[in-house]
Amino acid sequence: MNKTKKWIQEIKNKLHFNSKKEIVDFLVRLIFMISTIVSGSFIIIIIIFIAREGIKPFVTDNDGLGAVNLFRFLTGRVWLTGTTFQSTLYSVGFIIINTIYVAILSLLISMPIGVLTALFIAKIAPTKLSSIMRTVIELLAAIPSIVYGLFGAGVILPFVYNFAKTLGIQSPGGNSVLATVIVLSLMILPTITALSEVAIRSVGKDIEHGSLALGATKTQTHFKVILTSAKSGIFSAAILGIGRALGEATAVSLVAGNAQNGPSFGIFQTTSTLTSTMLQGLKETIGLDYDIRFSVGIVLMIVILITNTLLNYVKRKVGNVNVK
Amino acid sequence: MSNKRKRFDKLLQTVTYISASIGVLILSLIVVFVIRNGVGLINLDLITNDYHAQFYNGGIDEIVTFSNTPRPNELDSGDIYSEKWGIALRDGLDREGKPIIEVVFIAEDSPLYTMYDKNNLENTEFKIEVENIISSVKFDNKPSALSIYGAEYMINELDAENQFREIVFSSLGGGIRGSLITTLYTIGLTLIIALPIGIFSAIYLNEFAKKNRLTRVIRSMIEMLTGVPSIIFGLMGLAVFVPLTTRYTPATSANLISGSLTLAVILLPIIIRSTEESLKVIPDDFRFASLALGANNSQTTFKVVLPSALPGILTATLLAIGRVIGESAALIFAIGTTIKDDISIFGKSTTLAVHIWSLLTDEPANIELASTISIIILFIVLILNISVKLLSKKYLKRA
Repeated sequence: MNKTKKWIQEIKNKLHFNSKKEIVDFLVRLIFMISTIVSGSFIIIIIIFIAREGIKPFVTDNDGLGAVNLFRFLTGRVWLTGTTFQSTLYSVGFIIINTIYVAILSLLISMPIGVLTALFIAKIAPTKLSSIMRTVIELLAAIPSIVYGLFGAGVILPFVYNFAKTLGIQSPGGNSVLATVIVLSLMILPTITALSEVAIRSVGKDIEHGSLALGATKTQTHFKVILTSAKSGIFSAAILGIGRALGEATAVSLVAGNAQNGPSFGIFQTTSTLTSTMLQGLKETIGLDYDIRFSVGIVLMIVILITNTLLNYVKRKVGNVNVK
Repeated sequence: MSNKRKRFDKLLQTVTYISASIGVLILSLIVVFVIRNGVGLINLDLITNDYHAQFYNGGIDEIVTFSNTPRPNELDSGDIYSEKWGIALRDGLDREGKPIIEVVFIAEDSPLYTMYDKNNLENTEFKIEVENIISSVKFDNKPSALSIYGAEYMINELDAENQFREIVFSSLGGGIRGSLITTLYTIGLTLIIALPIGIFSAIYLNEFAKKNRLTRVIRSMIEMLTGVPSIIFGLMGLAVFVPLTTRYTPATSANLISGSLTLAVILLPIIIRSTEESLKVIPDDFRFASLALGANNSQTTFKVVLPSALPGILTATLLAIGRVIGESAALIFAIGTTIKDDISIFGKSTTLAVHIWSLLTDEPANIELASTISIIILFIVLILNISVKLLSKKYLKRA
């Protein structure tokens, strides 16, 4: 009891103002604090509301259609068996695999290119050239994803179509795993380059000089000493890059081809990712076909979370190896 | 050093050079592609025109006097002129690349000026104008002259007659005025919402908050927003802001306000980080001096700290504008993909980026117009980027 009284007294003391100036000061603090709490709470709002909508298909009977089977949803190989509005047989199993598959492939393409570009900018190029290159990378990073999508639809799709044709394969308009991977790797290249460059530049001069003094050539030093020392930073770049690749939506939806079943591993097969699936069939505004989009959203968030945790774990393991 | 070593070094160097040139190559490819496809459509009309063409049916009474204006000299050799009707037509292509017949000249004494609006007899401002598109001329006694037969056929058919049943004509659609206005509205609304909250949060975190666990948690919660893909923000807008705005405003579906609110959430971490960075470089001496002179915390914040942080806030604003212009995935859900000409902040509409998406998901995709819009977007983004760079350079020099 005594404690509560003390508390009330304390609050009363705090709320007792001697002048108008103090009231203003208090109000300003209050507004600032509320703004901060609002800013911080959005991540919770996102999680709560998407979870609320996304869990609905699994726990309610969806206006008489019956609940969606969670196990089937996570493992199935066809997006929708039956017709829209009449079936609960949704599955994203193959889409999860597709998403991770294209993300890893694009990382495999843009990682070496990005890291070597970063090395060139940070260590090899003369000052003037490296500042031009840095601007180029910044501009690439600033290009909105929809423009990459347009580039994909206008240049990469015809290219893939013709490439497939010369190999004697019929590709539907070029919409394919290959096109998706190319577009994604273009998009994550600037992210990876910029972050790797920071990592490479922060490698100490003494390590570099030590290597050169021991008789290693410049190229040997760059590849064997600097890149290995910057390993941890480069790994962070990869984590951010793959996060962007997993979450990219509009550009991918324009070149993926929206495969309804899979998984698709062949590079000329059409594919579909979690994000492109969310963007298809936007006409429905109520019912299961609307709610299922949120379920896909939850799956996407979980996939990104797991990938990040996994890569961060690997990074810690890799980072622990003593480079010196 | 062995020859083998040298060769290997050369190989690695070459690979590095090639990799470095790829970035430059991609940027130039994108720019060249967009400009080559889009530059043909760029003109002022595109920005001022509506997207949806207005169709009119013009009827005509008994004609008393025909035109007798001779063929004007300024017409191209390809333009077909009818002296009887005082009108010149030209075969052209619309913004989707389909063949059309456009009006290039009408004589002042043309009988076509006596046409009335068959759909709305009270419409007194009804008239056919230069740049209108004629889709067909219908006659009472013979088949219609459709635009697919070309301008010459249409003029010949008209010249052979003294009367027609109606002329169907339209304005040239495909303009982006609506999307452009939506984009501007969205930028304004988003900044009005996001800037105060973002700046206040940054000030609170940097100036007022105690360095304790709670502050760290809030800070990392704001940081977490940067890792969320934009399509998830779109879903949040759909689940939170769309129902909220439809309940408390006249809106009935996704609208500009819900879109701006969604964008504001996306921008918060960007604004907070940028503002905080500029707050951090303000020396503590400023604050102590102000406090020592008897100012209290909020006075110090508003009169000393905030003015010094202005360049950072300006940078944040420019970055935010760039993000709003380029954002597509979140807005597909939070504003919708309906292309509109009359814009209301309570109505559905699209920004330029979503307009591109709609054009590309149509069958067949309209690459030309999409490229033209991309030129506009890229141009704005380029200017914003350069301004941010100049601003931070100037600011760094001073600090």
